[in-house]
Amino acid sequence: MMKHAALSVLMLSATALAQAAAPASYVADPSASHLDFTGVQAGAEFKGTFHKFTAAIDFAPEDLATAHFDVQIDLNSIDTKDNDRDKTMRGPDIFDVAHNPTAHYVTKSFTKTATGYAAVGALTLHGVTKEVPINFTFAPGAAAKLDGTASLKRLDFGVGQGDWKSTEWIADAVKVSFSLALKPRP
Amino acid sequence: MPNGTPTRYTAVAQLLHWVVAALIVTQFTLAWLAEDLPLGMHKLALLARHKSFGMTILMLAVLRLLWRFWHAPPALPADMTPLERFAAKGTHIAFYVLLFAMPLTGWMMSSAKNYSVSWFGLFTWPNLISQSDDAFAFLRATHFYLSDALFAIAVLHVLAALKHHFWNKDDVLRRMLPFNKLEKRS
Repeated sequence: MMKHAALSVLMLSATALAQAAAPASYVADPSASHLDFTGVQAGAEFKGTFHKFTAAIDFAPEDLATAHFDVQIDLNSIDTKDNDRDKTMRGPDIFDVAHNPTAHYVTKSFTKTATGYAAVGALTLHGVTKEVPINFTFAPGAAAKLDGTASLKRLDFGVGQGDWKSTEWIADAVKVSFSLALKPRP
Repeated sequence: MPNGTPTRYTAVAQLLHWVVAALIVTQFTLAWLAEDLPLGMHKLALLARHKSFGMTILMLAVLRLLWRFWHAPPALPADMTPLERFAAKGTHIAFYVLLFAMPLTGWMMSSAKNYSVSWFGLFTWPNLISQSDDAFAFLRATHFYLSDALFAIAVLHVLAALKHHFWNKDDVLRRMLPFNKLEKRS
């Protein structure tokens, strides 16, 4: 009897240990997460958001080697609080959503930083794939959160053709920020 | 006032008058050029300048009002009828109202459309109101009607100045012109 009990405890602890070591798998809760960007137009910043995106997040602070993010962004869901601007950005000279409806970000490696974590991943946008680093913080727990920023150059991805290639009125640099409310992945 | 009623406008008043007059002509030109363009780099560039000049006019309007407050303008010619005096006063008051109302409605228009106003790319003015399609439509109509009013008053102003100069042969136009000797005391 005692032998059996001891064995159960041992097995339980082993399972618990295995669970702790394994990366926690999450998805972003769409209702509480957001993905925003800030561009500069004629010298003034403007903010936009993508309402539709999915994020599969595997992350455990103690095991960065197994961490992995996979984010799909529906570019059609762009919202800059101006229909004319949204339409123009979906159009052939900017995102060209007819041919490239989604952007895709997949991480390659993670490192610990002084204030949180950094990752490098491949962003596929407008049919062009380039490495984009991100910085983020992670809050574990039942209501796990992931907040971070990135900056990229739109012209690296050919976002802006024709007149829009000029950076005189539309800056090349775009800031991205994200705040993900994570829930366990089923 | 140290020397009684002045006979001509101060150099500062003259400078402000002609600079603002030139800016207003520029503003009409930029607005006409941009009006029918689709949203694109060309329209963005024209409107960016229109906004920067507009905010310049607003700042100069503040200066003009303050200057006028401390420096009385020369008196109107003694031979003007009460109706002419009333028209002259009314026109000038309308000018001052429009010097503020035009840039302010323009600024609010930009805010309502969520296109923040930059001043020549040097700094960005805060948004006066939050994004709203209804407010934008109303403000755009107002901005246009006011511009019609400004145009009409400016035509009246120019014709009146020419009438004083060539018909009445008084100093009304000359006292706003630099490098010009007054011929007649009015």
